Amino acid sequence: MRLPAHLQEAKQMNEFYILILGLIAILGAISVYFKKSPFDKLIGLAVMMGGVIPLIVLKGYLDVAVLVAIIMPLTTIFILQATGRNTDES
Amino acid sequence: MIFAYDAAMIPTYICGIVALYAVIRVLTEKKTLKKLVLLNVMNFAITGLIVLSIPDIMALFAGIAYFVGSTLESNAIASTFAGGKANE
Repeated sequence: MRLPAHLQEAKQMNEFYILILGLIAILGAISVYFKKSPFDKLIGLAVMMGGVIPLIVLKGYLDVAVLVAIIMPLTTIFILQATGRNTDES
Repeated sequence: MIFAYDAAMIPTYICGIVALYAVIRVLTEKKTLKKLVLLNVMNFAITGLIVLSIPDIMALFAGIAYFVGSTLESNAIASTFAGGKANE
């Protein structure tokens, strides 16, 4: 697939993006693996998706990035419905 | 050449360094509510990185969608963590 010209010249200087965003995604995944509380796991999942979505944008698939950014909070809200706050009532 | 000096890349460097600092503070914080505040800081910086990345009009819409979605997500986590019927 051949990108347009203005996207082609923007690809020349994205080593900084790849370094920072890859580090953020890996740190988020490590945080999801090692934390104990479900809220900390959800925060780590949000950090990981914050690292992944700019990489999709940087590749040029902007419609995919819009869809992922819309669907991501819905999954978090569904997981919050499943493992909510453990009250003492039930 | 990662840190090439270019005056047009200075906002990008600032956004990236703020994002990495916020992630490190999120990972080393004990209380969950302070983690959520720093998660919002990371969302601002990531939105800046998305918008500054490629000069296309759809990148602005991707930044808008990410900003709205991530703010909704962290507010949902915070209101589930700190709110609810048990405090009434």
